Amino acid sequence: MRAALIDVFVKKYASLSGIAHVVNGADAVAPIVVQVLGDVDCKRVALAELPDGLADAIQSACVDAGFEVLTPPFDNRALPHAIDAADVGVSWAAFAVAESGSLVEFALDDAVRLVSTLPRVHIGIFQASALLANLTDAAEPLRQFFEDHPHNATATFISGPSRTADIEMRLTLGVHGPEVAHAIVIA
Amino acid sequence: MASQRYENLYAKIETALREKPKRTQLYNAVKRARDSRRAAIDILPQGEAFRKEVREIKVRCTAKLDDLVDQFAERVEARGARVFLAEDGAAAIGYILKLAAEKNAKTVAKSKSLTSEEIEVNHPIEEAGLEVIETDLGELIIQKVHEKPFHLVFPAVHKTAVEVAEIFEKETGEGVPHDVDAIMKVVRQYLRPIFLNADIGMTGANVGVAESGAILIETNEGNARLVSSIPDVHICIMGREKVVETTGDAIMMMLAHPVSAVGQHTTTYVTWMGGRSPLGADGKTPRESHIIILDNGRSAMKEDPLFSDALNCIRCGACMNICPTYGVVGGHAFGHIYPGPIGIPWTSEVHGLDKAGDFAPLCISCGLCKEICPAEIDIPMMIAGVKDRDSEVNPHPRVNKMLMAAERAAKMGSLTAPLSNWLMDNAWVRWAMEKAMGIDRRRQLPKFSRKTLVKRFAKRGPLPVSNPVRKVAFFMDLFANYNDPDLGMAAIECLEARGCEVVIPPQKGCGYPYIGYGDLKKARKVARENVDFLAPYVNRGYEVVATEPTATYCLKISYPKLLDKSEDAVAIADHTFEFFEFLSLLKGDVAVGERNALSGRKFGFHIPCHQRPLGAGEHAMAFLHARGAEVALIETGTCCGMAGTFGLKAGPLGYELSQAVGEPLFEGFRDADVEAIVTESSVCALHLSEGTGHAVWHPLNLLRFLK
Ligand code: SF4
Ligand code: SF4
Repeated sequence: MRAALIDVFVKKYASLSGIAHVVNGADAVAPIVVQVLGDVDCKRVALAELPDGLADAIQSACVDAGFEVLTPPFDNRALPHAIDAADVGVSWAAFAVAESGSLVEFALDDAVRLVSTLPRVHIGIFQASALLANLTDAAEPLRQFFEDHPHNATATFISGPSRTADIEMRLTLGVHGPEVAHAIVIA
Repeated sequence: MASQRYENLYAKIETALREKPKRTQLYNAVKRARDSRRAAIDILPQGEAFRKEVREIKVRCTAKLDDLVDQFAERVEARGARVFLAEDGAAAIGYILKLAAEKNAKTVAKSKSLTSEEIEVNHPIEEAGLEVIETDLGELIIQKVHEKPFHLVFPAVHKTAVEVAEIFEKETGEGVPHDVDAIMKVVRQYLRPIFLNADIGMTGANVGVAESGAILIETNEGNARLVSSIPDVHICIMGREKVVETTGDAIMMMLAHPVSAVGQHTTTYVTWMGGRSPLGADGKTPRESHIIILDNGRSAMKEDPLFSDALNCIRCGACMNICPTYGVVGGHAFGHIYPGPIGIPWTSEVHGLDKAGDFAPLCISCGLCKEICPAEIDIPMMIAGVKDRDSEVNPHPRVNKMLMAAERAAKMGSLTAPLSNWLMDNAWVRWAMEKAMGIDRRRQLPKFSRKTLVKRFAKRGPLPVSNPVRKVAFFMDLFANYNDPDLGMAAIECLEARGCEVVIPPQKGCGYPYIGYGDLKKARKVARENVDFLAPYVNRGYEVVATEPTATYCLKISYPKLLDKSEDAVAIADHTFEFFEFLSLLKGDVAVGERNALSGRKFGFHIPCHQRPLGAGEHAMAFLHARGAEVALIETGTCCGMAGTFGLKAGPLGYELSQAVGEPLFEGFRDADVEAIVTESSVCALHLSEGTGHAVWHPLNLLRFLK
């Protein structure tokens, strides 16, 4: 059941020019991140808020591998330039939707949104247990999120890299946001 | 002499017709969008029925819009953002200018927003000394060359990569390679500092959610994410009709927009923004979000029975992708600020009837926009309303008046046949007809028959059938009565042979031209007359059967609408059938001798636009199949260009445009390996035979003549 759903996600995500990695357990995430950073010729990586444990694991793996790592809390006075200077942004998705290949990011701080938008590569991570089948299934968790946060709150559906077809209808990636998008699914 | 308005319109059409590469670009863009939409809908769990859901949501929300807007505003403010209810564009602009002055802002980075274009916000901001930069690539391109969008979703689809490279070369002062990927890198570099340093970020909103006070902003490029997160001041301009009730409603909109527009399941980035968040820790500057909710005629629109449906528009642009004439001339001719089919009623309501009247004649009333619209909006009828209201100030051109009164001409032609036919074959007469009446002399006109169907049927008398299986009131429309009574008789005999009792009740021509050219008073009059003629039959158990698709369309779809769903009109609509649909319901549908009548033959089938909502020709095609024929459905997904009598008219707004619309379809038929074309529409037949050189048959005639 779950495996089939993950498969739907992976296929859809690939059709959107995204690259999905399905890993076994949270421990397997950091090595994938490091591998991607190496592949995309990264010098500096920005991490958004990640669940405890995962944040530390990714941070130390990246530092060990020789990457410069930017972690929250980000100083307002250094923004947005500090994140703009990163080559890769790593962030957490509260849930995902298989049908549309979307990662859904919850943010109470706009710096999180910058981590997933400014760098040329984005890595989004989510739990397979938080993978929903259809877009319509997203209504309830979203409603709940906005109810739980009566003041500022932003949720974003992110479905692959930034794309445009504005010139001659030719699909091109990365015009403003990332041109490369990775999703890591923790099964 | 054509009025200034028509001179301008002709000039625009002629320009578009001359620019073949641009036309091809547009054609390919809308065709691809249309085809992808089809494919995306086919894999939706609910398929086409998703349109019903969208409509249900919009109709429900529009009905209580005032309350929802209040609730939305209250929730937005509870989240710490500000709300400004702007009566009109001037109020919205005043608010923005004041805010910009207070903040001492220098630059505004904008993501695409049609509502901001509606009130032409850029100009006054620039006048006040600020710089406004469009960050959507397509919008940026046209901003740089001071043009208006060519298409709602693909604003710069008419520009080639070379042209775009040159635009950015000029802008950056550096060489830009002429390939798309390289241009994209330049654009990224060019815009990045603008995103990082803008003082104000301005967006639209695709949806507002009353339940939560969140706005939804959809972009594929991600520019709206940047302009809504980096600058300390965010301004959103949204039309009040964008507010929906629940999160679930918003999800449905979020799905319907990209599916309808380009066949994507979701836009790459959909931001649900509730209030304004801080940026990083220890932020010193206050972060603000101002949501401007624009009325600008919308409340008045809601009260107008003819136009209130336009508020259900979700701005997906699908109607632009299917509109045959828009697909040739593009948004520069077919639009003011709001382009395309829905642009006509919207322009009329927010920019003025006169402006809408300037391009409304481009609508040839094929009805296709209604069939593709995710909110199931009856756009063609609203356009008829615009033409109608406009005609009070700018009277209908003579040729339109004459074509609306086609029944009179047909009567004359028939009464005076064969003289009339001889005259119409005479080059001098045709030249004079073109000059005096505006009927293109190149068109082959159908011959009139002196013996009308009514006369022939009266002479023969109804066939007494004891215990008829069905009782049929035959609706013939003009063509079968005045031009091809043999076809009418064949249809009647076909029904009789299968045990039906057939009568021809008194009737008028269906009157669709009154809708097409926009005389709703006369359209209603004809509708009422025909409904009054037919109602007594339907009440006595007769079923109405018609051979002409447009006539069936009128009876089933237009009349109930024109007559406010009167009981009689609805009863008639429920009991009206297309000829072949009705035939398929009868026993002995295929006569024994007919089984292989067409075997070994291959025909190309054409679906007339008005037949699309009636079953898209499936019964006629099945009829041919059942007689052994091979049938290839040839279609472009839009109109053949004839559009009733539109293609008869001389000049750019008639014959020439109808040819340009028809070209790709003609090519399809010419390339298909078929011996002839089959269609049920008498007018499409004229156009297709001229355009392809193929013989074109009504299925019944095919059977008669091939025997
Ligand atoms: S009815 Fe046909 S021609 Fe008129 S606006 Fe709609 S699609 Fe275009
Ligand atoms: S009228 Fe319908 S098809 Fe056209 S833009 Fe609006 S919602 Fe889309």
